[in-house]
Amino acid sequence: MLKLLILNLMKLKNQVYKIILILCLSGFPIFSRLSAQPVPGKDENIPFLVTFGKDGKTSWGDNDFYQVFFFSIPKDYTKPVYIRVFDPDCGGEWDEIQGEFDTKTKFSVYGGKGVDPDVNEESRGIYKGLNYKSGTMLGSKIFGNEAKYDNKYYSFGPFNPSEGDFNAKWNSYMFKMVCEGISGDDGNLYKYFLSSDPDNNVPIEGANAFTYAYHFRMWNDFKSVAHIYPYIDTGIVSIKEKNFDWDNDGNILVVSRYKQGINVPVSNEDDEVISNISIEPQEIGSSLDFQFHKRQDELVKNNNVVIKLENQRGDALKFFSSPIGGVPVYQPKINVQQVKKPKK
Amino acid sequence: MAKRIYYILLLTLFIPLVTVQIVAQQPSVYSIKRMPFNINGFSNINPVIVKDGIIFCSDRRFSGIEDVTGYNGKRLYNIYIAEKRDTSVYRKPRVLKSERSNKFNNGPFCIAPDGKTVYFTSEVETGKIAENKNFRNHSGIFIADLTGTDLISIRPFKYNDPAFDLGQPSISKDGKYLFFASDMPGGQGGSDLYFCEMVNGSWTTPVNLGPKVNSPESENYPYMHPSGKLYFTSNRPGGIGKLDVYFTTLTGGAWDDPFLLPEPINSTADDFAFVAEENLQKGYFSSNRGNEDDIYEFVSNIIRKAKCDSIQENNYCYRFIEENAVKYDTMPFRYEWKFGDGNNATGPVVEHCYDNPGTYTVQLDVVNLVTKEVTYNEKSETVVVTEIEQPYISAPDRVEVSQRISLNADSTNLPGWNISQYYWNFGDETIGVGKEIQKSYLRPGIYNIQLIISTPPSAGSGPKEACVSKNIIVFRKQ
Repeated sequence: MLKLLILNLMKLKNQVYKIILILCLSGFPIFSRLSAQPVPGKDENIPFLVTFGKDGKTSWGDNDFYQVFFFSIPKDYTKPVYIRVFDPDCGGEWDEIQGEFDTKTKFSVYGGKGVDPDVNEESRGIYKGLNYKSGTMLGSKIFGNEAKYDNKYYSFGPFNPSEGDFNAKWNSYMFKMVCEGISGDDGNLYKYFLSSDPDNNVPIEGANAFTYAYHFRMWNDFKSVAHIYPYIDTGIVSIKEKNFDWDNDGNILVVSRYKQGINVPVSNEDDEVISNISIEPQEIGSSLDFQFHKRQDELVKNNNVVIKLENQRGDALKFFSSPIGGVPVYQPKINVQQVKKPKK
Repeated sequence: MAKRIYYILLLTLFIPLVTVQIVAQQPSVYSIKRMPFNINGFSNINPVIVKDGIIFCSDRRFSGIEDVTGYNGKRLYNIYIAEKRDTSVYRKPRVLKSERSNKFNNGPFCIAPDGKTVYFTSEVETGKIAENKNFRNHSGIFIADLTGTDLISIRPFKYNDPAFDLGQPSISKDGKYLFFASDMPGGQGGSDLYFCEMVNGSWTTPVNLGPKVNSPESENYPYMHPSGKLYFTSNRPGGIGKLDVYFTTLTGGAWDDPFLLPEPINSTADDFAFVAEENLQKGYFSSNRGNEDDIYEFVSNIIRKAKCDSIQENNYCYRFIEENAVKYDTMPFRYEWKFGDGNNATGPVVEHCYDNPGTYTVQLDVVNLVTKEVTYNEKSETVVVTEIEQPYISAPDRVEVSQRISLNADSTNLPGWNISQYYWNFGDETIGVGKEIQKSYLRPGIYNIQLIISTPPSAGSGPKEACVSKNIIVFRKQ
C-alpha cells in the first residue's frame, strides 16, 4: 500500500516537471521579459510585418513600400548579435500574391553614425524624400520567390554591438533594418528576431526593437486582438494618431493605466484617418496599448495596415516591440461621494 | 416564607422605579419663592420689573405704627420701589409719593417705555363727594411723571368715567398700545380687558378684546409681555381656583384661546398680576396663597439651550464615479454597478440611496462593447453608511392646533452613551421627559423643539449632554 502511494507521488512529481518544461518551451509569460526581441513582439500579437513591392497599390495596405525597424542592444552586452528574418522571400507560404509572385524585397542592416533616430530624424523612415538609409550598411540581401528561404529564418550578422550607433538616453547601440519592396507588387510578410545565435532565436536580455511607422498584417480571424505599444516620452501632452487603409475593419482602442479604452476612428480602404488623444501626466514614461479589434460582423481577410503616431509638436512616437514599463493594464478609479438626498 | 420575602424585596425594588418614572414624566416647570420685601399683615401686589429692582403696590404704612387710610377708612395702596442690593437681596422699599398718596389709592400701574411716564390706578372723584365714606368712588387711570421718587404732573386718562372702574394699565413695549381692565358698559360681563392705540399723540377709543379673552366672569391685570403674549388674570371657570393667570396671543388679527399657566404659578388661591422678564425665564406675580396678598418670584425650570444643533437628516445617498471613464466621451464600455444591497445601476456616474446604514461592497462590472467581454468585479469599494451621531427627534413637521402627536427619540444615534434622560422643551413653555412623549399645541405658530439627552456622570468623566432642535409648524385648520 505504502509502495503504491510513493509510486503515485513520484508520478505526480514527474507530471509537474513535465508541465513546467512544456510551459518553458511554449514561451510562458515568465520568460516574456527575456524573449523581448521578436518583431512583432509577443505581447503585440501581430502575425506578420508586411512590405509590398513598389509596384503594388497603396490600397493593399502599404503606403510607402518600405519599413524601417530599429534594434537596441544594451551597452554592456558585448557578444555578437544577429538579426534574423523569418520568411524573407516573397512566395510560398504566408506572403500575399498579386497575380504571380514576382516581387523582390531587399533587407539591409545599418549601423554606425546616422542610424540613431533620436539624433537623425531622417533615419526614422517616415518622411518621404528623406534618406532613411542613413548610417553604414553592415549587410544587405535581396530576396525573390525562393523556396529555400520560405518559412525559414535568414540571419544577418554577426554584428559586434559596438558597430551600432550609440544612444546615450537608452544606453544602447542602435541598428537599423530597412525592408524595401524594390520590385513587383506582391506583399512580403515577414518577422524579425534579434538573437545572440545565428541559427536559433536566443533573446538578448535588455534588448528591444521599435519603429515609427508600423506596417503589419491583421489577423484573419475574429477573435485575435493585435496590440502596439507606443512609448509616451517626457513632454507629451497629446498625440495625433494616423491610421491608413484599415478597411473599416473593427475598432482601435487606446488603453493605459488611466484609459480603459478610447475608441479611435478607423480608416477605410486606401484612406488615412487622423485623430487626437490627450495624454494624462501620469502616463508619461509608460506605454499606451493600441488594441486592434477585428470587425465582428464580417471577416476582413488579408488586411494590411499602417499606423503612425506623433506628439503635439509633430515628432513621431516609437512603437516598442516589448512595451516599456510592461503592458499597461487599466486601473479603474472609483470615487464615492455623499450627495444630497433627491427630493421626492 | 422565603418566597414571601422574595416578593416583598421584588416589590420594594419595583416601587421606586415606578415612582421615579411617574415623577420624571411630570417635571415641575416653575419654582417659586416669596419675595423678601413683602410685609406680613399688609397687601403686596402688582409687581413691575424695572432696571433697579421691583416696583409694586402695597397698603403698608409709610412709617411707624399708623396706617395710611382713605376716606372710607380702608388702608390706601401706594407705589413702592424695592431696589436690588445684589441679585437676591433688596433694600428696604421706598414709596413713590404723589399728591394723592395720603388721600387716595395709588394702585396698579405700569411704566411707559421712556421710563418716566407712569400710568397708575387711582380714584376718579377727588372733590368733596369723595370725602363721604359711603361714596363708591370708581377708579380710573392717571398719568404722572416719575422724578426721583416723586410722581408729579398727574393728569387723568381721557376715558376715565365716574360711572365705572377703569385701571390696571399695561403699555406695550413700543408704547403704542395701552391695555387695561374696566367694567365699562358693553363688555362680556364683570370686568373686561380693553386696549387703546396711540394715534397722533392721543389714545383711541377703548376696544374690548372680545369674547375669547373676556369671559362672563372678570378679567383683570393685563400685562403685555415684549414677546407679544398678553397675560391676564381671570376667575373664569376651568382654572385651578379663584383668580388664575392666563395668557393669549394675537394670531392673524384674532386672540387665541387663553392658556392657563400651570402650577405652582396658579394655585387654588388668588393668583394674579403676572409679569416676566423678556426671556420668560424669571418673573413675578401676586398671590394670596399665604392668606394675604404677597409678591412671589418664579423661575422657570425649563431647560432651553442657547446652543442646540439643528437636527441633521441622515443621508444615505452616494454618487459613484468611475473617474477615468468620465474624462472621455469615446469609451465603448458599459459600467454596471452593484451596490451591495441588491440594487444596480448603469453608467460611468451613478447615484444610489441606501435604505439603511451598514457596510456595503460596491462592485463595478465593465462590459466592453467592442469585444462584448464582461470584466466582473473590475473594481470594488467598501461603503460604510453610517447614521449621524446625534440625538434625533422623530416628529411631524406640521400639525394642527390641538392635534395630539407622538414625538420620540428612537432614532437617536449616540454610540457608547449610557443615556439617563430624554428632556423635551417643546418651545411653548412646556416640557416633557421620556424617550417617547405625547404632545399637542394650543396655538398656531412655529415652535422650536429641543431634545436634550444626558448621561449620568461616570468614572473619570462628568455627565455628557447633547442637544438637537427641530421646528414644528402648528396651524389652524381652515
